[in-house]
Amino acid sequence: MNARSVAILLALVGMYIAVPLLLGPNLYVMSLLVASIAIGGVALAWALLGNLGGMVSFGHAAFFGVGSYVSALLSMKLGVPVFAAMFLGGVGAAVASIAMLPTLRLKGPYFALAILAYAQIFRILATEWKSVTGGSGGLSSIPRLPEIAGFDFGSKVGNYLVIVTIVLIFALIYERIRASHYGIALRAMHDSEDATRIVGVNSTFLKAMMLFVSAFMTGVVGAFNAHYINFLEPDYGFSGLWSTIPIVAAIFGGYRTILGPVIGAVFVYLIDQLVFKSYIPSGHQIMLGALLAGMVLFSPTGLLPWIVEKFKRSRHAAA
Amino acid sequence: MLQLDNVTVRFGGVIAVNGLSLSIATDEVTGLVGPNGAGKTTLFNAISGLARPSAGRIVFNSVDVLKAPVYRRARLGLGRTFQVPQPLSRLTVHENLLVAQRFATGSIDESRLREILAFVGLTEKAGRDATTELALSELKALEVGKALATNPKLLLLDEVLAGLETVGKRRFMQMLKDMHAKFGVGILIIEHDIETISNLCKRVAVLNFGELIADGTPEDVFRNPAVIKSYTGADHA
Amino acid sequence: MTELILQAIYSGLLQGGSYALIALGLAVVFGTMKVINLAHGELVLLAAYVAYAVESAFEVSPIVAIPVALLVVCVSAVLVYFLVDRIQKDRELNSLILTYGIGVMLTNAVLLIWKADIRSTKSAWLQDAVVIGPFYSMRSELGFFVLSLVLMGLLWWWLSKSWYGRAVRAVASNRDAAKLMGINPRTTEIVSFVVAGILAAFAGVALYSYGVIQPPLGHALTVKAFIITVLAGVGSIPGVLAGALLLGVVEALTVTLLSSALQEIAGMGLFLLVLFLMPNGLFGTVARRG
Repeated sequence: MNARSVAILLALVGMYIAVPLLLGPNLYVMSLLVASIAIGGVALAWALLGNLGGMVSFGHAAFFGVGSYVSALLSMKLGVPVFAAMFLGGVGAAVASIAMLPTLRLKGPYFALAILAYAQIFRILATEWKSVTGGSGGLSSIPRLPEIAGFDFGSKVGNYLVIVTIVLIFALIYERIRASHYGIALRAMHDSEDATRIVGVNSTFLKAMMLFVSAFMTGVVGAFNAHYINFLEPDYGFSGLWSTIPIVAAIFGGYRTILGPVIGAVFVYLIDQLVFKSYIPSGHQIMLGALLAGMVLFSPTGLLPWIVEKFKRSRHAAA
Repeated sequence: MLQLDNVTVRFGGVIAVNGLSLSIATDEVTGLVGPNGAGKTTLFNAISGLARPSAGRIVFNSVDVLKAPVYRRARLGLGRTFQVPQPLSRLTVHENLLVAQRFATGSIDESRLREILAFVGLTEKAGRDATTELALSELKALEVGKALATNPKLLLLDEVLAGLETVGKRRFMQMLKDMHAKFGVGILIIEHDIETISNLCKRVAVLNFGELIADGTPEDVFRNPAVIKSYTGADHA
Repeated sequence: MTELILQAIYSGLLQGGSYALIALGLAVVFGTMKVINLAHGELVLLAAYVAYAVESAFEVSPIVAIPVALLVVCVSAVLVYFLVDRIQKDRELNSLILTYGIGVMLTNAVLLIWKADIRSTKSAWLQDAVVIGPFYSMRSELGFFVLSLVLMGLLWWWLSKSWYGRAVRAVASNRDAAKLMGINPRTTEIVSFVVAGILAAFAGVALYSYGVIQPPLGHALTVKAFIITVLAGVGSIPGVLAGALLLGVVEALTVTLLSSALQEIAGMGLFLLVLFLMPNGLFGTVARRG
């Protein structure tokens, strides 16, 4: 066994056994962890679109919201089992992203702005389509995660294990895509789109696939969140926060890496909840904005990669 | 056979290619010459799909490709190199060829990739980063290798020899001659050097101001007064 | 019904004046710097709140606040410029993230200073009705519409006649060639941000003088400005004005005929329609295809 496998094994043991055993009884800490890992899932999906698809999205709240509403409604109105509904929530978000396909023909800033506009539209639709979504009053008593074979997935520890597993599966999918031929072509497309098209790469199709995958992942996390907090309203489900925090987290952790955004999400969310929010209850997003602007200016490839680099260099200097 | 029928390309008010009709065989080497700004590269762009003609028809092996997207033309067998090499960024030399082969032909044949790498002289550079670790002559070779990896039936070469020093040029010339025989690919080549064209091609087409002003054997074409005038006129301008 | 529709069209046209100012600011900066300032709507928002602050502090008409708004917004715009200018790598995408971050900061700063409540002017004079034939508007609506036309005329004159305006256009069309002509692109970039700031300041005071403002408005205005530039296709002043008037009218008609909540969707629908059917915009061509 090499060092890499040992590290992965240790991380898995830590996540699946140590964390639940040590922190499980502390419900507050667990709830912070669950929320931050969920945001990590969105950040990972956002980074996938940015890193592989070369697209910056300011509208992931749209996918998050659609996923949460689809899943909540399917389980409440049609009695679809919660886990199946969550999957369908992801599918719903991917379907919603079809509405964004025409924007793929647009270049950088136009795509970013178009997707920003879409997020707003979806929020308004959720508010106005009262007969289905319950309008601005929202939906309450959304079914919690079920109990299967004696294990209660609806408990704090259960929720934690579910979201950790979801995000790990996403990371694996991301890794598989990145290493595939599609991933190689996508890597090239970012800076040399004409050159990739001229050798037979259907760049619009590949971008569309990345949009679908990213939307699906975000939708699943949104769905999980709905069943986790059991309550949904348009201003919450489609909150700009679901667009902003993942961006901050992904940039913070390094959006060209796979797990960086997740680790970044845990950091950023904890700082936001424990520090920013306690000092600035409403308007705490001002700190997120400042963090984002600061990072883009000083270390656009991410704060964690930057720290790792510094650390390596100082070790080199010492050796 | 590539057939251009009355093809016109405009940029805003400028007509870059004007009602051009031309047939290019896929079993020979054809030269495309003309002074700077004659519309040669624009014509390549129109054929490969990067520029959209405002009028005319483009038919390749009896498939109308006028409205076909860029990637589909590549899959139909229209290969193309760029005057300024455009390696696929953030990929190695081998990955450049791999992507070209995988997406243009739908499958991967590593032995053929090795063959192509050897043919263009990049075997030893296979693992290098294509954008940052190659010299100009190697970038030019990569352009050709990438295009060959798409398994083209007709290869459009845009000034592949420009900027190379004498020895490199001679080697490249030999490569182009062998390529036609070895890969059974037709070639349409843009080149300024009359000697090179005469050496490589049995047929030359001459563009000036977006129009075809001569078409025939190199001997005939380069003796044509209209061609000489277009060149000297451009040179003295 | 016809009367209602005509009135909606009239109100929509008046609203379009402010929209045009906002969209032009976005377009001018994009022209010189190839950067979309996602905080542009927040600059307008800032001007609106400056008007509110001046009005409530000194009990004067918001019109009096215009100089203050100009100062605050132009200084902010130049600050945004200096931050954007610091970006070295991947300027196009990183500048989006940066200005998005600045936008979030500004919105929340406004929220912290002036709270989330909806604000509108107390000036009765501004809200007095002006009736022209069958059409009704507030005095401020009509006044600011005329003012916005004047500003656009000045901008047109400046861009086409003055040396500096020509420099801005030169940088917009070919940066390197402009450098060779002895134009310093940095100066013209700063100037373009100041121009955007001036337009935003007037638009912001206008919005406060005839409408209601609240912190999330800035974000929505950026989106509207963007939709207008897509409608216009090319960054010509008449094109942007036409796009802005169209958006204003479509929104007003939606509110009159359907529901005020659908106002935002109307603009989006228009945007999608144009994107699908006329990818080059309503009024020309622009290289925004991927």
